[in-house]
Amino acid sequence: MMESRRFKAMGTEIELFVDAVGADEALAAAEREFHRLEAILTRFRPESELSRLNEARSLEVGPDLLEVVRLALEARGRTDGRFDPTVHDAVVGAGYDRTFEELPEEGTAVIVGWVCGGSVRIDGSRIELGADVRLDLGGIGKGYAAERAAELLSAAGPALVNAGGDIAVHGGSWPVGVETSEGELTLELTGGGLATSGRDRRRWSRGGEELHHLIDPATGAPSPSDLLQLTVVAPGAVEAEVWAKALYIAGEDEAVREADMRGMPCVLVTADGRTRLAGGIS
Amino acid sequence: MTAATATATATTTITAETMTSQVGRLYSVALALFVFFLTWVVIGARPWVASSSESDPRIAALEKREQRVRHQSVVVQRLMKRRWATYRSQLRRRQSQIAAANQAQLAAAQAPPVRVVSLPPVTSTRTS
Repeated sequence: MMESRRFKAMGTEIELFVDAVGADEALAAAEREFHRLEAILTRFRPESELSRLNEARSLEVGPDLLEVVRLALEARGRTDGRFDPTVHDAVVGAGYDRTFEELPEEGTAVIVGWVCGGSVRIDGSRIELGADVRLDLGGIGKGYAAERAAELLSAAGPALVNAGGDIAVHGGSWPVGVETSEGELTLELTGGGLATSGRDRRRWSRGGEELHHLIDPATGAPSPSDLLQLTVVAPGAVEAEVWAKALYIAGEDEAVREADMRGMPCVLVTADGRTRLAGGIS
Repeated sequence: MTAATATATATTTITAETMTSQVGRLYSVALALFVFFLTWVVIGARPWVASSSESDPRIAALEKREQRVRHQSVVVQRLMKRRWATYRSQLRRRQSQIAAANQAQLAAAQAPPVRVVSLPPVTSTRTS
């Protein structure tokens, strides 16, 4: 018997599934965890710990923000800077300066091409940001929250958490749909995580120019990738989120090559409407 | 001999004596200059330096020291070669350990097996 719960948090729809009976308490705990982490990791609330860090440049932080920043910096190293938490100013500069629900679809021209990759130093529980460095932990924060919530749910039974496309699985076997240019593909997940990055959503227009939220840290501007969307299966939701962004920015050929090399299952939808599978998916 | 002839002869003798005396002085001056420059050259060459250096104890000490340093440098080079060989073998061992650790980490970080199924999905992913 499966129990589920849906609610909004972190600017997206959250779905919790647990294969158990009487899992209300676990579901409530998982939901609370989402709201708790949102209050820490969001850049849209001035009182959040992340906003205070971005404002103060140097701050003693709690374990969750510390852990997410640590994960993000590790990911920056592993992906050769294609995933970078210091894209905050570039995202805001491109026009994504408020929650997506509040963001007008059209607007006047903006300046794109902000410098990314600045210094972030962790010293004990203190985080120090370099000059003009601000962090955006939107994507990785959702992955982290999905993993934490799945862990909490797993006390009741096998669980799946879907945080607006970032999926964490803890036990069991779960069929998950992936939209492709040839219809929906269903992947069976038995653990780990899955995430999708693309420019088919979270896009807007400024001065007639189409913009989206996937910033290439090398240019500080929305990535001109030849992919429309890319889904990655990884050992965890954080890892999946990181690689979905990094491989999307890398582009079709490099993404396929890297996914095959790393044995990282991927579903790619190209801008010209083709669907490709890579990384040993079968 | 008339008086006039005698006077002329005496004058010629005095003139010849004066000329002889001037040529001699010229030769003397030239010889003195030659001797002076020869002495200068000989002194400038400082022939006593070589002979005195052979017996200078400081030079002898320096030579001994040079030999000692040369010997020490050979010993140090031999030591360095041995240490370098040890370092390289340890480096190779460490590199193989790191490679093994990386392999293990890669294996641990492998994505879970995933396959395409024809079941209805419980949920769907989309751009997050």
